[in-house]
Amino acid sequence: MTISIPPAPADFDRYWAATLDELAALPIAAELTPIPMRSTDFATLYELRLTSIGPYRIFSYYSVPKGDGPFPVLYHAPGYGSVVHIAAYEERQRYVTVALRHRGQRLSDQPFAAAYPGLLTTGITDPSTYVYRGIVADCCRVIDFLLQRPEVDADRIAVVGDDLALFTAALRPQVDALYFAPTLFYAASQLAPQTGSYPLEEFNDYVRSYPEQAGEVWRTLSYFEPTHFAPKVAADTVLVTGNERDALSPAVLAPLIQAFARPPELYTTAHSGYRDGVHQASWLAQRYGFGEPLLPPHWQ
Amino acid sequence: MSAMDRARPGDPATYGTRVVKPADFDAFWEEVLAQAARIPLNPIMKPVPLRSTPEVEVFEVYYDSLDGVRVAGWYCLPRERTEPLPAMVYYPGYISEPTLPKAQARQGYATFGAAPRGKLRSNRQYNPGYPGLLTHNIIDRHTYAYRGFYVDAWRVIDFLLSRPEVDPARIGVQGGSQGGALTLLTAAMRPEVRAAAAQAPYLAGMIDAIELTHSYPYEEINEYLRLHPEHRPAVEETLAYFDCINFVDRIRCPIIVNIGLNDNVCPPETGFAVFEAIGSPDKKLYTYPGHGHDANRYEHDAIVAEFFRHHLMGA
Repeated sequence: MTISIPPAPADFDRYWAATLDELAALPIAAELTPIPMRSTDFATLYELRLTSIGPYRIFSYYSVPKGDGPFPVLYHAPGYGSVVHIAAYEERQRYVTVALRHRGQRLSDQPFAAAYPGLLTTGITDPSTYVYRGIVADCCRVIDFLLQRPEVDADRIAVVGDDLALFTAALRPQVDALYFAPTLFYAASQLAPQTGSYPLEEFNDYVRSYPEQAGEVWRTLSYFEPTHFAPKVAADTVLVTGNERDALSPAVLAPLIQAFARPPELYTTAHSGYRDGVHQASWLAQRYGFGEPLLPPHWQ
Repeated sequence: MSAMDRARPGDPATYGTRVVKPADFDAFWEEVLAQAARIPLNPIMKPVPLRSTPEVEVFEVYYDSLDGVRVAGWYCLPRERTEPLPAMVYYPGYISEPTLPKAQARQGYATFGAAPRGKLRSNRQYNPGYPGLLTHNIIDRHTYAYRGFYVDAWRVIDFLLSRPEVDPARIGVQGGSQGGALTLLTAAMRPEVRAAAAQAPYLAGMIDAIELTHSYPYEEINEYLRLHPEHRPAVEETLAYFDCINFVDRIRCPIIVNIGLNDNVCPPETGFAVFEAIGSPDKKLYTYPGHGHDANRYEHDAIVAEFFRHHLMGA
């Protein structure tokens, strides 16, 4: 299918500037608590709690290699689900790693616990109330924290994940490497009706149940269209696409790919956790001067 | 130096397993099932109009399980149906959200997305978290997390058997990773299961896996043992009662299993070992080189769909 992305809302930049201003007005209030059980001889793991807009207290797993820093950062932006796991054992040997659990996800679920399905349409009829406004702020708050930390090499901050990784790199130019796969928000009004599977089915459920609010839903999502974030990304970028048979084929993603100011490197998923994982690990390792990546035994 | 730091054996198919079935394994589970049998199912079904479509009705289900824990699930029925329906259970992965199998119901199945204790909507009374579940009470088999969790999964079958629209002779089970484990376990413990498809099964060869990988969730056990080395004998003893390898000799239904030969989460060595132990004469293993924990689901899903069409739809 051919995708056509309407122009960004006139107040798109104002909307996000206001969100970041709201974030800046709040203290980061970082609280680090070591977790001996999940620390190793090469890295210390911490519970990290920060304040985001709302105000809302968010949780992350934060791992710091032992030895002399500063270290490059591998920041796992949260995916769509209630659990975000601690970064991989191999990653924790070389990188400061962050695994954020945004508002609503487990350990960031008081007072708000996200429903799955349900989160994707929470507050969706108004851009000011849509839950993802806060979630994007949560993602940005982690960057604010990292920039304060002596163990962090602020020139080597990589973000990996899906749409939230892109949004974070666009709104926080300190991110210098982005590896992401569009998943939730790209051309949502055109792609969601093509599937009956969750999570995109959440949009369909909502519009089917409240047809009179469809206009508001798609308007809100226009503030979260990845194509409008892409021009703001300064980071070196890998964009993961599907193959020609997939819903998110290179052809379908063309408007997003073309929207980047600096052309992203394209990687076609092999639909293999092994091949895709090796590609991501290799790209990051080469980029940060490690040469070969550290890989799990079954990936060697 | 752990086994992981040494060179891995060349052929995962011949790696074997250190798992041994305890002498009182059957007695232990008979007692657990006896306790569960004393708890009425008390199922309720609530329509969910928001998630329903012109083709599929969606219901939120709750039922009682071991320890009085109220357990949730999603139940989907095709609106246009010729009853009795074949039924399909989808078991969730370790950190996955329970499936809402609406799209699958359009294929003519009564579908159930299981949410054992600790999953969202089943975590009000029991919530060890992730990470956490795998090592919760791991030194005591009588209170170990998976004792109730397994029973929750098995009682999905009781719910389906209570439904007039379900053909009790055509129940299938499937899932990946932890869902693959629950598929094996349910096929083993519930003879009503007619066909099963397990992908990249977890909770199999656990004491082998912790020496083969540092990936989560198994790394949770390594973390626990680093902190509590004195508990290793108790941990190994508990895990023996919960390892899929000690259950699957009971499986009699047709079953297919798929594994990735580059799986760093559920090592292929353990996939081969659990498949070898399956008792069904009608079993087939699909091995996918170049694939990890995905176990080539992208292509294998079509094989699974055809397998169930054959065994549950008579196609």
